[in-house]
Amino acid sequence: MAEVLEVFLAFLRFGVLSFGGGMANLPEMARVIIGNGWVTPQAFADGFALGQFVPGPNMLAVLFYGLSAAGFAGALAAALGMFLPGAVGAMWLVVGWRWMARTRWSRALRRALVPISMGLSASMVLVLIQLSVETLFWGLGIWLACWLIYREVGVGLVIAGGAVLGLLMGLL
Amino acid sequence: MPLGKLFFAFIQVGLVAFGGGGNAQLYQAIVRRRGWMGEREFLETTALCRILPGPVFANAAAHIGMRLGGVMGGILALLGVLTPGAILMLLLSFAYLHFGALPGSLAESALNGVAAAAIGLILATMLRQAPSALDSFKAVGLALGVFVTYGLLHWPLLLVLLVTVPLGMGLYWREAEAMPADASLEAGRG
Repeated sequence: MAEVLEVFLAFLRFGVLSFGGGMANLPEMARVIIGNGWVTPQAFADGFALGQFVPGPNMLAVLFYGLSAAGFAGALAAALGMFLPGAVGAMWLVVGWRWMARTRWSRALRRALVPISMGLSASMVLVLIQLSVETLFWGLGIWLACWLIYREVGVGLVIAGGAVLGLLMGLL
Repeated sequence: MPLGKLFFAFIQVGLVAFGGGGNAQLYQAIVRRRGWMGEREFLETTALCRILPGPVFANAAAHIGMRLGGVMGGILALLGVLTPGAILMLLLSFAYLHFGALPGSLAESALNGVAAAAIGLILATMLRQAPSALDSFKAVGLALGVFVTYGLLHWPLLLVLLVTVPLGMGLYWREAEAMPADASLEAGRG
């Protein structure tokens, strides 16, 4: 039980500090988790890779680290610690924002954040392309998928099409 | 908004949110397919959720869920987007930790295609959002400034925000006075 609490507190700290989605937090996370002996360095990397593999935020990798540290309860504790701070803050913002909207600075902030957020999205896309696209083939695949979705072809269909195409490439 | 309907919508997003495309999936499901939120309202919501810690996608789901269905709606939305991936992650982790199994090369090559499609989805979503998000020269300039410093020059995120957020607030200071309080927030509701 003490172990589970320890896992929860460690991940709560990551959850509070993980501005920008958690990727920036990765080096610190590796240091603490490996340092505590919860995973080996190889398992840390493999766990992170598995996080890329499943749908949802890639920070679902914390389930792996929690499971390795303290079993099923540890996995739940890690996920709670990681996702709760942001989610509670986001839910509080529903209430807080209505109250803050009366002030001029918060209206300016709300307007300014939209283009800033577009710039952050564009930066994220660049990182994703650098990380995951190694061939011209998939570079073209991105534009094809973009064009299809822009022309209102169903998103699920395009994603499934990508999976089938990838499978075919793997078989050839 | 019936909570069952809300949970179902978010769990559908959670099932297909591969490769960092979660927010784009949320946009497709909530704004384009169901019209539960206005375009501008969604943009401001996700932009706000970016300045909170944790994955933007999970934060945005909790925020939107609470707007649509109260506190219970927020919790269900968060559970909806996390549960499918969490179950798969637990199964894969268990297989790895107990049998040393990693997904085979075929699954990995399928994922290559999924990742490319997900990036295409994010790009398409940005194209759709651009007309309303980048509606002035200063908006374009601000977005470009963030992209160059963060995306190309790899400044730390905190530094980028410390520079661009006050700058952006200054640029929008004049308009913030003219904007009627709460108008844009209430417009997309109900």
